[in-house]
Amino acid sequence: MNHMKKKLNLLWNPFIRIAGYQALAWGVVGCIVSIWISYLSKYHYHGLLHFGPAPKNTLLCFALEHLVVWLVPAILFLLGGFFFSKSRIRIVDVFGTVLFAQLPLIFMNLISLLPPMQRMNNMDFNLPPMELMNQPGLLLGIWLALVSLVFLVWTLIWMFHALKVSSNLKGYMLGILYCVGVFGGDILCRLLIHPLYSLL
Amino acid sequence: MSEFVKKLPLKCPSCDSPLHVKKLHCIHCDTEVNGSFALPLFVRLSEKEQAFILDFVKSSGSLKDMAKNMGISYPTVRNLLDDLIEKLRQIEEV
Repeated sequence: MNHMKKKLNLLWNPFIRIAGYQALAWGVVGCIVSIWISYLSKYHYHGLLHFGPAPKNTLLCFALEHLVVWLVPAILFLLGGFFFSKSRIRIVDVFGTVLFAQLPLIFMNLISLLPPMQRMNNMDFNLPPMELMNQPGLLLGIWLALVSLVFLVWTLIWMFHALKVSSNLKGYMLGILYCVGVFGGDILCRLLIHPLYSLL
Repeated sequence: MSEFVKKLPLKCPSCDSPLHVKKLHCIHCDTEVNGSFALPLFVRLSEKEQAFILDFVKSSGSLKDMAKNMGISYPTVRNLLDDLIEKLRQIEEV
């Protein structure tokens, strides 16, 4: 029972056990896998919280998207931690835990490989509602998109714990910095990623 | 049956102020010492916190070794230590 509880705790917050270079190494492996799956499914990271099709499908484009989505929130967390935490922060803990926190997104990318999701990516959403509803596989695609959402929420929970463990912040300061890192980070990521589609 | 262990009360149950030792007693010769003695800083910490300090000393102050022995990550150990330092500061201020 206790063993089970420990395992569930790790699923909730893995950073009690793993951080630093170990988390970074797993994160890098996960990131490479994620880039490859995204390349196969043509499923882009437009920001930290926005995903979907895009005009450019080069491997470099997918790699840069992943890099931006990792580095932007990590840098925001790091800066916030340096300014507001009383603890000494290790850069490798912040970058490692943030990258590790994005591992559940691999499952989201795998779901995007499934045929109903691929069909949904190519659908014209400007069609009249009735016609749109009659598109084959739309309902299944919506269900799969909802399942993908679970993995995004999982990543967001892990990112919260990544910030908490790596910076030792507590209370409202932790909440504020998390919101700045995730929601502000999403806006920054979108601003940085969008020009890539015309540059690459 | 497990042995019943009495916990040393640290705070006044009525007003929450830190308690002092008023009387010490020798169980061998029945000598009693009266006075007002403050509890040492270490004793005012919880059992878990005391165990953490002992582990810290035993691992020669190496947080990396502690993390390895405790099976937790380095920043988690460092956070526990930082929280403990903060608590000690607060106790000293009271």
